[in-house]
Amino acid sequence: MAVVTLEKLTKFYDRGPLPAADAVSLEVQHGEFMVLLGPSGCGKTTTLRMIAGLESISSGTLSIDGRVVNHVPAKDRDIAMVFQSYALYPHMSVADNLAFGLRRRSIDRAEIGRRVAAVADTLGLTGLLQRKPHALSGGQRQRVALGRAIVRDPKVFLFDEPLSNLDASLRVSTRGEISKLHRRLGATMIYVTHDQVEAMTLGQRICIMNGGRVVQVGPPLEVYKRPLNTFVASFLGNPPMNLLPARVAEGKGRLSVKLGGELLELKQRQYSALPAGAAITLGIRPESIAAHASAGARERLAGVEAEIVQIESLGAETILAARIPGIESELVARVGPEVGASVGERRSLWLDLSAIHLFDATGALITADVGASPA
Amino acid sequence: MAALKRAVLLLLLSLYTAFAAGPFVWAAMLSLRTTTEIHRNHFAPPNPAHWDKFAEAWFTSNYGVYFTNSTQVVVSAVLLLTLVGSMAAHCLARYRFRFNRVIYFVLFSTIIFPPQITIISLFQILVQYGLYNSKLGLTLVYVAIQLPLTIYILESFFARIPSDLFDAARIDGYSDWEIFWRVSLPIALPAVATTVILNFILLWNEFLYAVVLITEEANRTLPLGIQRFIGDTQEDVGMIATGLMIAIIPVVVVYAFFSERLIQGMTAGAVK
Amino acid sequence: MPVGHDQSLHQDGLRKPWATIGVFLLPSLTIYAAFTAYPAMRTIWNSFHRVLPRSDEPVGLANYAELLRDDIFWRSVRNTITWACTSPLIEVSVALLLALALYARVPGARFFRVAWFTPVLMSYVVVGILWLWIYNFDWGPVNVALRAVGLASWAKPWLGDPKTALPALIFVTSWMWVGFNMVVLLAALHSLPREVLEAAELDNCGWGGKLVFVILPLIRATLLNLIVLSFIGKMKIFDLVWITTKGNPLWATETVSTYVYKRAFEWTTFDLGYPSTIAALWFVIVLAAVLALTWLFRLRQKLEY
Repeated sequence: MAVVTLEKLTKFYDRGPLPAADAVSLEVQHGEFMVLLGPSGCGKTTTLRMIAGLESISSGTLSIDGRVVNHVPAKDRDIAMVFQSYALYPHMSVADNLAFGLRRRSIDRAEIGRRVAAVADTLGLTGLLQRKPHALSGGQRQRVALGRAIVRDPKVFLFDEPLSNLDASLRVSTRGEISKLHRRLGATMIYVTHDQVEAMTLGQRICIMNGGRVVQVGPPLEVYKRPLNTFVASFLGNPPMNLLPARVAEGKGRLSVKLGGELLELKQRQYSALPAGAAITLGIRPESIAAHASAGARERLAGVEAEIVQIESLGAETILAARIPGIESELVARVGPEVGASVGERRSLWLDLSAIHLFDATGALITADVGASPA
Repeated sequence: MAALKRAVLLLLLSLYTAFAAGPFVWAAMLSLRTTTEIHRNHFAPPNPAHWDKFAEAWFTSNYGVYFTNSTQVVVSAVLLLTLVGSMAAHCLARYRFRFNRVIYFVLFSTIIFPPQITIISLFQILVQYGLYNSKLGLTLVYVAIQLPLTIYILESFFARIPSDLFDAARIDGYSDWEIFWRVSLPIALPAVATTVILNFILLWNEFLYAVVLITEEANRTLPLGIQRFIGDTQEDVGMIATGLMIAIIPVVVVYAFFSERLIQGMTAGAVK
Repeated sequence: MPVGHDQSLHQDGLRKPWATIGVFLLPSLTIYAAFTAYPAMRTIWNSFHRVLPRSDEPVGLANYAELLRDDIFWRSVRNTITWACTSPLIEVSVALLLALALYARVPGARFFRVAWFTPVLMSYVVVGILWLWIYNFDWGPVNVALRAVGLASWAKPWLGDPKTALPALIFVTSWMWVGFNMVVLLAALHSLPREVLEAAELDNCGWGGKLVFVILPLIRATLLNLIVLSFIGKMKIFDLVWITTKGNPLWATETVSTYVYKRAFEWTTFDLGYPSTIAALWFVIVLAAVLALTWLFRLRQKLEY
């Protein structure tokens, strides 16, 4: 259990002028489960490997529990890592794989035996201890990789996309195991993934990265509900948030937004900083769009006319894609199973005004004035 | 500290490079000096460089004849090897029939055979058929000795070609031969190139079969030709060195252009 | 069965295209039969005869009996086997050191790799002549260097002294093949899974630990392969000896292959039967040795993997 502090960590590779990781700053608390999330090439793995000591740090400071470890070799950082490919020693049995790191640290043999047995018991590996990795299934290898990290009892656990090589059902169950593990050990864990579902379910805080930089850090739901820019907004959520081009219109005291041919009055909030005619991006998540609206609900909702272009019935819900005249990108809505719509139909879709996000031309979130009447 | 270790390492590696390449550099220098110059000082650089020695070696010492013979024999053998070997490899890789693996194993296992088990009888056989001391006879023997390796390399490559390509060709109405000629070979071109280069080098340097099966001066290949000059009491070191260069230069040229492919081809079976 | 075999060009239900298969295989099989299989069998047949220029006399096992009493033959066997056993050890271990050095990401690795591979490309004839000169007593670099550093007493006619001739030749083949083995080992090292080595690093393994516990075990198969290849190569060796010493001095460098050649083509009596006997026996010995080696290694491999 430890605090891991990254201050402006930067990594340059000889191959390119652009840094793989650019001034990454982050503080991971005692016992926190922090997820580094982002598309491939965003620098999350580079950052993790710098924390592990497998990559040198070009500039910036890395501290564990207040001690600067930039030049401390990997083996002395009291860190354990679960690799994407598990990285088990192919020529050693499961028992030896688990015990190897401990033996190398001259831990008493009896103690090693105890720890290995305990970990094997926890992860259900007791019957497999004498097998070699090639005789194990993917899920079993995954557990051995986990076990190898646990048995070391390190200060920090690092995970490098450990679930990406598993098939879908295994992924779900292993996710749960990792979650349980964290609750049980209470250790500091830093987890890298490109899968937002893993990030949302496992992380206590998510650090979203793009292009080598940290874009946003926060608890999953906060990052989900309040994305600081269009990148984060579209990265989380499935189907992703609708991002539609819009224009600020002259309003009657409150902000109005021209969406295609429609004029939406944003009754809930004030955006005094926005000049008229400014080009903005309007974001709204598919689940915040309804196909019907009772009269009473229309206070909170804004209706737009749209032509349905695609309907996907998934059983428990329906995904609609619609086209708003004047806007090229489709509006995707997530509605209930009994929606009664048909392709080609022109109807009103109702946007939840409290769930609308506005982004400026650079993609950054435009914050509403404080003190405006809440939803 | 790390920099010092690195410097020492580089020094050691450079010394080893001198050790590995040194003899050839020396040979190159010797090839451009006259024997008198050489005996005065064996290690001095060529000054002046006698480029005309190459012409002398070519015409007067007959290296031109040896070179031509080697070229004829090796080029023919390689062409034949490529054609015959690829046909066999294609068949073994892509057709399923009962004796497939047996034939493959039989062909491949001859790599282990010590040459002596065949060479005496080859001598007898070639004499019997009037192919003794002939370039044709040597060519055929060269094809035979390189066939196992060629088939081994090509077969594994052919086997890896996705069968969808063959199915598509079949549906398009190609005959078996056309499939081989228009699908297998073009795709396997890298592997074929590798075997061509490999066979070229190995046969260019081949000595044992040549020395047994060729005795006439006019038919001598380069390795035989060079060997002829050593052991004389009045050894013409300078001329021999020039001859060595004539033998080495084609190999160096091929290596310069195809080093990667050649290295991979020669080490193909060894990496596990 | 190779990969393509499950989806061969013809489904099992159809008739096998024997004609096509025949056409493709016939040239190779003909050449094989005519120039490899038949000669091999004929050599074995020869071994039971006295083969004179115009006649063959069957002599049963007489040749073999004579062979067993032939001191020169056994000397040559001893030389060849010594060569075949010591060479692999030297060549592979030195090559491993060099490969590890290059693996550690030394600058110029690509250049070194190409440079060190060159000796293998040259004909044994070229190599032989060069080393004849290198070992030359009067002016060869070896002795010149020894005299230059004051070790004149160590200067010798390396290839002329029965005690040093064979080691000198073994040194030459090592010089040739270390580069080859190094390239193979380097490729094997580069194919090691990077993450396993990183896991070892996190498990408190320095360079030594990684070498002993991860690298060596994982490249074992390649190492053994190279040893077997080197062994086979030295059992067959002819060219180098023929160019440099021809088996002299006093049979110190006589190998089985040079002895066969001498008995067949340079002996006082012309009889191809006896050298065929040597060839046949040697053939059996080489095959047995290779089988034993691979069986031995595969057995150990099964136990550990």
